[in-house]
Amino acid sequence: MEPLTGMGVMALIGAAATIAGASEDLESDVGSQSNPNSQVQLAPQMMYPHRIFNKAVSGEPPSNALMCTIGGTVASVLMSSGTSIVLALTIGAILAAAVHGTFSVSAHLGRSASQKRFKQPVYLDIIRSHVPVIMGYSFITTFCILVVSYLMITVLQHPFPLPLLAFIWGITVGAIGSSTGDVHYGAEREFQNVEFGSGLNAANSGNIVRKAESGLRNGIDNSWFCAKFGGPVTGIAFGMTVFLSGWITVVFDTTKGDALGWASVIAGAIIVLVLIIWNRNIEVAARNAYGPYKEDEKAEVAA
Amino acid sequence: MSTGGGKGAHAQISENNIIAFGIAGGLIGIYAAYFLVDLIGGYMSFLAGLGAICGILWGASAVRRVSSYGLGTGVPSIGMLALGIGLVATLFGLAVGGIAGPIISVISAAIIGYIVGILANRTLGIGVPIMEQSMTEIATSGAIIIIGLSTAMIGTFNFEEVVIEVIATGYMAVIFIAGGLAVLHPYNANLGPDEKQDRTFATAIEKGAIAMILAGVVASINESASGTLTILIGLLIWYIAFTEFYKLVKRDAYKITGSGLLPSKEELE
Repeated sequence: MEPLTGMGVMALIGAAATIAGASEDLESDVGSQSNPNSQVQLAPQMMYPHRIFNKAVSGEPPSNALMCTIGGTVASVLMSSGTSIVLALTIGAILAAAVHGTFSVSAHLGRSASQKRFKQPVYLDIIRSHVPVIMGYSFITTFCILVVSYLMITVLQHPFPLPLLAFIWGITVGAIGSSTGDVHYGAEREFQNVEFGSGLNAANSGNIVRKAESGLRNGIDNSWFCAKFGGPVTGIAFGMTVFLSGWITVVFDTTKGDALGWASVIAGAIIVLVLIIWNRNIEVAARNAYGPYKEDEKAEVAA
Repeated sequence: MSTGGGKGAHAQISENNIIAFGIAGGLIGIYAAYFLVDLIGGYMSFLAGLGAICGILWGASAVRRVSSYGLGTGVPSIGMLALGIGLVATLFGLAVGGIAGPIISVISAAIIGYIVGILANRTLGIGVPIMEQSMTEIATSGAIIIIGLSTAMIGTFNFEEVVIEVIATGYMAVIFIAGGLAVLHPYNANLGPDEKQDRTFATAIEKGAIAMILAGVVASINESASGTLTILIGLLIWYIAFTEFYKLVKRDAYKITGSGLLPSKEELE
């Protein structure tokens, strides 16, 4: 393969992965999956019933693996019966989104019904408005993951079949979304009413923000907030993961000799090292700029 | 998140009945599909899908019991581990067993699951009293689910054909994750102090039906199995189970409302 073609394909894969990462995070924010979910689930127990979509599909990596694998399976079945590739990937992603919709509905209804003693009502308008959004995001995620997997198989000659590769990328995008983007919702959005950087005090457990700029806050308000930072950051993180891990073997083509193979390993190690140092510097700079939460001693004296 | 605080989950149907239903239903479904596909035709492969749903119900019941000890986020982890054990045991059993493959798979899954359960409790010190039993049950039900859905896809559990048509094509991934989430999701979806066994089971059957439909989609390109009947029966089971689930949600929920404000302070007290 021409190196230039390889780089072009890698750019396309990276772009698709970036979109997949962003939509994956926003999907989990609409439904309060993963990190923020524990507080959404806890809130009614602490006498804070809410109108926020509460879903958990066994954790983000498995739920994304499920939709991507379903998409990959359906697409692979359709392609083997002669359907065009774009149509096959699209239908696969539509079916995956539909299945994800059923998982979301059963999770929200079931969890709300299991909180009867805390008087958490089931709001049907929340289901009607949120499930289409969740399905829309999951369609985008699945479609982009399928594009990534399909390009890797056909152009970069990856040996794995489509459903398996989609499964692996599904787990990866879920894991990255869960660790990168959800923190923005779980730590910031749910606790906007406490001072920035104060951490989650035990007394605040379950006391999530339940009122919006106008009316009562719901999952779509949360995705609006997360689309400003958490979603794009997840997209960049996932896009970089996919692009940088593929880039090293495209530039240093391992099929052309062992020396190039070792060069790609060294390039990978250098990238990891640079990222570690860079991350450390960001963390130190952020701590210096915003600092740990200091108790307001003057206010206590005055009280 | 703990629901029972170690008291164990409240059950309407006894666990022994579920275990018997899972093993017997699962194996009968798999063997019926295996023989009837040869005798009558490929469209009988849907029976293995029904067997897989029996296994899914059992697995979900085992997850429900072990989760009530407050495992929280550990539930998907032990479930994936147990299904991995089930997959290894399935491949071993089908490779050496021939016609007795499913039975050998089930037995070896039980043995490996039990050993891992002992390791988890004694060596790692997780300290869940029913860990050994639960790992054994989830791994065994995992083996039944994997063999059931594979047989529903290709109409046989012959090792060579499973390797070529299910594993090499990557469809094992969808069996693993759709079967796995059908086991893990029901209790997770109904998590909370007012969780009810029948509602969790309705979710398990609903998600099992989705796994069956997916097996039918794959079966549609295999000549030795027929997808149409598997998909149609799967859709029917899904519809019935979902209707039942929604009925139970209406029974159990504090209030179902089209829209509205939050409960007032007086209401909460």
